[in-house]
Amino acid sequence: MGIKKFISSVIELLELDEFENSGKKKSVKRLLEKLKTRKEILDKTLKKKINKKEKKELKEELAIVTAQIKKAEKILETLNKKKETKISKKTKDT
Amino acid sequence: MLKKIFLPSIFIILAYGFWISPDFKEISAGVAIFLFGMITLENGFKLFSGGTVERILQRSTDKLYKSIGFGFVTTAIMQSSSLVSVLTISFIGAGLIGLTQGIGIILGANIGTTTGAWLMAGFGLKVKISAYAMPMLAFGVVLIFQKTKSLKGFGYILAGLGFLFLGIHYMKDGFEAFKETIDLASFAVEGIKGLFIFIGIGIIATVVMQSSHATIVLILTALAAGQITYENALALTIGANIGTTITAIIGSLSSNTDGKRLAGAHFIFNLVTAGVAVILIHQIIYSVDIISNFLGIENDNHTLKLAVFDSLFKVMGVLIFIPFVDKLVTFLENIFKNKSTENPEHFETTQYLNESVLELPETAMAAIIRETKHLYSNAFEIITHGLNLKRENIISSMPLEDVVKFPYSDQAIDIDDFYNHRIKGIYGEIIDFSTKAQSQMSPEDIEALYAIKLANRDIVEAVKDTKHLQKNLIKYDKNPNTYIKEQYDSIKIGLAELLRNIDLISKMTEEDEIILLLSKAKVHMQKYDILANGTLDNLIRHDLITNEMATSLMNDSAYAYNISKNFIAMAEVIFIDSTGDIKNIGEDMMISDEDVDLILQEKDN
Repeated sequence: MGIKKFISSVIELLELDEFENSGKKKSVKRLLEKLKTRKEILDKTLKKKINKKEKKELKEELAIVTAQIKKAEKILETLNKKKETKISKKTKDT
Repeated sequence: MLKKIFLPSIFIILAYGFWISPDFKEISAGVAIFLFGMITLENGFKLFSGGTVERILQRSTDKLYKSIGFGFVTTAIMQSSSLVSVLTISFIGAGLIGLTQGIGIILGANIGTTTGAWLMAGFGLKVKISAYAMPMLAFGVVLIFQKTKSLKGFGYILAGLGFLFLGIHYMKDGFEAFKETIDLASFAVEGIKGLFIFIGIGIIATVVMQSSHATIVLILTALAAGQITYENALALTIGANIGTTITAIIGSLSSNTDGKRLAGAHFIFNLVTAGVAVILIHQIIYSVDIISNFLGIENDNHTLKLAVFDSLFKVMGVLIFIPFVDKLVTFLENIFKNKSTENPEHFETTQYLNESVLELPETAMAAIIRETKHLYSNAFEIITHGLNLKRENIISSMPLEDVVKFPYSDQAIDIDDFYNHRIKGIYGEIIDFSTKAQSQMSPEDIEALYAIKLANRDIVEAVKDTKHLQKNLIKYDKNPNTYIKEQYDSIKIGLAELLRNIDLISKMTEEDEIILLLSKAKVHMQKYDILANGTLDNLIRHDLITNEMATSLMNDSAYAYNISKNFIAMAEVIFIDSTGDIKNIGEDMMISDEDVDLILQEKDN
């Protein structure tokens, strides 16, 4: 067995690639939580009576936060899909 | 002059020794193999140091007792205080640790070296270690030829240990054979005179071999063979402790101020400890006897008693020094002052790049990032003043409309002059240093370094664009045409906002805020696209500005756009990478041009 193959089988056995993915997943989840809280605050503030300039700024911030939330959810979905594919591949093999 | 004589003298002495005594040849070969083993061992540990070193270092050196512990453990594992010293200088040079922590590591390393004497006295002299050396060398060399970094590193460590063992074996054999022809013990000198003579020999031997570890091993083998007396061995050990600082001083001559300070600390520490040991020699010998009895070491087992002495006098030195570390730091900072970052012609130079940080890829990378931040800080000031704004107003919470109302100066600053004095040299040095540093980096590190190099280029480009922009900013600042003045004020406000946001990002740790500010900056950048957003059309159609003004505005908006683009790209590399969570997802979460369009559409709805 080649060294590369040996290392990749050890990584698979110890699920080290999953470890890296789960680290990324945790980071995205944490960020998503923060973004959602920020969105809630922005929504609430926009409902209040504020001046035009402030409203414009808040609307822009809301648009950015919404885009970021969509992005984070997409990343999370991709990471979950990756995991599911791996699990189904494993069950097929066994 | 001394350097020129030194090497030939060593060769002559060695050649003469080889000629008169084959046993001397064996001992010398043993020392040479031992030293080669140490070099190999150091190479192995350097290959292993990637990535984790920085993390361990930051966690384990935040308090003095922790840095002493770190120095002790790393030296005990690596069996080389010189490697630990070199790495410590490199860490200080890169700004990863301060001088106090560095001194802590050196104090710990001093105690760590005593483990070598214990291993040698307790194990090396009793067991036939050459039997272990051969398989270690064979396995080690096979592993050295592997491509995988960790296997290669392990191979170097194994081969290094093999050479160390083999060296000890030759030294032992040499002294055993030597005993039959000449009895060195007959040259032993009693009393205080003997103490100083043998301290001198210990210093010279360590300076020649460049390793106190090798000297101690040599002393132990000679002592085990009965070639020197126990008292003389103690004096030689004290000498070796002084000698090792001389090698560190020689090594620090080519290093930066921090390296010199650390070598100074090492020298003062070892010299004072040696002085105390000489003064209290009888009391220490008495204490060694008590401790040896307590540990069950036989009275005539001088090799183990020497290990006790070595440990006792080094621990004693550390205990004496701990209360004075802060004073020592202040003293050394006064003696070795940082060279001014500006030379007589006021050309600013780099602050963090020096040969010592090239020892490890992590320290080199950390130093390059810090230097890039230094370059950014200079660029920030030049751009701010180039826009005729005050730096303190930009980084304050003053409304941006007011920031542009307070000019920095009545006269335009010479951006070219600033660029030549505060940007060009530093930029050139960063690129040059990066090229040197990448020769020992992994492909992933080289990729990261490439991004940093691009960030540096972005900074330089931003300064150059400011220079082009400055001309018309001045020209239209007092223009009677309020429409063109308004446009240029808007550019100024936009860039002031960008600079404020980048400054905030550089100080932030909350990832959602960093991402939000960067995204905002990207969205706001679009306002410089005056062709697409219809601003220019509107001004021309209604005859509000002249053709010349329109051309200038179009060009200058492009410059403002480029400054923003370059600064945002730079911030994404320099300020995001160092933060926690965002490091994992930073690139994926950055908004694209399509996202910006969508945000602008949503914002207008």
